[in-house]
Amino acid sequence: MIEIESIGKHYGRRVALENFSLCVESGELFGLVGPNGAGKSTLIKILATLQPPDSGRARVNGKDVTAESSSVRAVIGYLPDVPGLYQDMRVEEFLEFFADAFHLREPRRRQAVDRALARSGLERRCNDFVEQLSFGMKQRLVLAKTLLHDPPVLLLDEPATGLDPLARIELRELLKELNREGLTIFLSSHILSDLEDICTRVALIADGRNAAGSDGQSVLSLSAPSAQSDARVACEVEVLGDLQFAARASSGFPGAQLVSTQGQRLRVELPGGSEQGTAWLQHLLSAGVKIVYFDSRGPGLEERYRQAFEKNRPGGEQ
Amino acid sequence: MNPMIRKELRQRMRERRSWILPSIYIGVLGAVVAMAYFFTLSESPWQRGGDIQGAQIGVTVFITVVFAQLSLLLLLAPVFSAGSLTIEKEQRTLPMLLTSLLSPADIWYGKFVSALLFLTLLLVSALPVLSLAFSLGGVGPAEVVRATAMTLLVLASISALGLYFSSIFRRSVHSTAVTYAAVIALTAITFIIFTMMESHWQTKQAQITRPAGVSAPEIPRYYSIPLYLNPFYAVASALMHTRHKFPDWLICTLVFLFLGLAAAFLAFRNIRRRGESG
Repeated sequence: MIEIESIGKHYGRRVALENFSLCVESGELFGLVGPNGAGKSTLIKILATLQPPDSGRARVNGKDVTAESSSVRAVIGYLPDVPGLYQDMRVEEFLEFFADAFHLREPRRRQAVDRALARSGLERRCNDFVEQLSFGMKQRLVLAKTLLHDPPVLLLDEPATGLDPLARIELRELLKELNREGLTIFLSSHILSDLEDICTRVALIADGRNAAGSDGQSVLSLSAPSAQSDARVACEVEVLGDLQFAARASSGFPGAQLVSTQGQRLRVELPGGSEQGTAWLQHLLSAGVKIVYFDSRGPGLEERYRQAFEKNRPGGEQ
Repeated sequence: MNPMIRKELRQRMRERRSWILPSIYIGVLGAVVAMAYFFTLSESPWQRGGDIQGAQIGVTVFITVVFAQLSLLLLLAPVFSAGSLTIEKEQRTLPMLLTSLLSPADIWYGKFVSALLFLTLLLVSALPVLSLAFSLGGVGPAEVVRATAMTLLVLASISALGLYFSSIFRRSVHSTAVTYAAVIALTAITFIIFTMMESHWQTKQAQITRPAGVSAPEIPRYYSIPLYLNPFYAVASALMHTRHKFPDWLICTLVFLFLGLAAAFLAFRNIRRRGESG
């Protein structure tokens, strides 16, 4: 569990964090998103005990990050936004060094290194120098190093930066797998689709403070439909037969707004959550429309991000 | 074993300078000693065919080796210490070290020991050259032990100082430059200050009229204070015979110990505080 209470941090006159609060439950896969300079990396560094907060408190698994920093380091795995590597070490040496740095003793040390090599897919490259690895392999190596001491909490700062699409997919699958094993994962990212795919909740941060979306919430649930009155859901159907008949039937549903028609596909927006999409589908079926495909998507993270931060951009609405 | 020591030694041995520098060091030291040997022979009143005092040549070779060695190692010590922590900042590996279970003291100790071990390797590699002094006579094991011990203490302090500057700066070039400046201050500036103070005292004494047969008093000991920070004087004092209750070598030992420990303590604080911000 991660508890952040009114954290403040400044660098000289620049305020990096101000009165920021958050709670991440045990076993969550939690995302943090915000514009550049919002304070994401600073927050993660505070949780990782690299920097003390100037005000407020933060606890990881019940341990205060300032007063009990060594206890916190024993339970976290930290991946910085730009991880460094010892280029002149071999892959296995690199993992063995950090296994020693986390005070792992035999046989646990050997098991941890072997597991890390397997997890990163670098068993065959264990005798290669780190500088010989590709960028994606280096990223996998650093993530594997983060998991050596079986930490229950992972703090990942922009873990997908610089990865190709396939590597990003592999990373997402790995994080989901780790989360299923019970790890609490707290990560920041600019790649909204990745967060949307894997996180249960996402917090918004801007100018070092909790930022609210258009619904007034600073923490967005990505698994539950929105209950707010201004939420909208996008629906799409592919029909057999007359598309215009389907469009006329759709217009009879309260609040349905036609977005586009293309080929045999009809796209509409409906007020409310995903339950409205289900009701609209039933309405079309009742009207005699023959449907071969249906998709319904609630307000996406990208849309919510845009609503939350567009007003803060230059020229945006204040 | 501290994992930092193993890592540092492994990385150091893989660097090209791990064999280039010792080679240059031995070459230069050998050349200096050879020059001193032949210079002493040619300047000796007992020229060719005469009765050459081997012990005097042995002492000359010994003194030459000790101070040439110290000079070279003072040039090399900043190379191995001043970049130790800045390299971790430059290659962005320091956050990973600081979020492990290694304490700032563990990190410092590993870097310090690996730097000092390498300098000790160089010191030991000069033993064959030093054995020439033994073979000529005039030098005993006690002198060798005292000179080596004091040299090691000086190098340890300089290494600690280099690590302290490395903990302050973000870039190796800056920390190395400042460490060299500190070495110059300790070697040259202290000597210049002492020379100026001594000159001032001599001038004052010359102005005093004394009765016939009364010579000027010895220069007070406190005028030597700047020299207690001078590495060359520290090693020289280790070779002097003195009847003082607090001999100069003891004072130099305490001064360099204090310098090293203070630098170490300040570096511990900086490693944690400046870990991210540099």
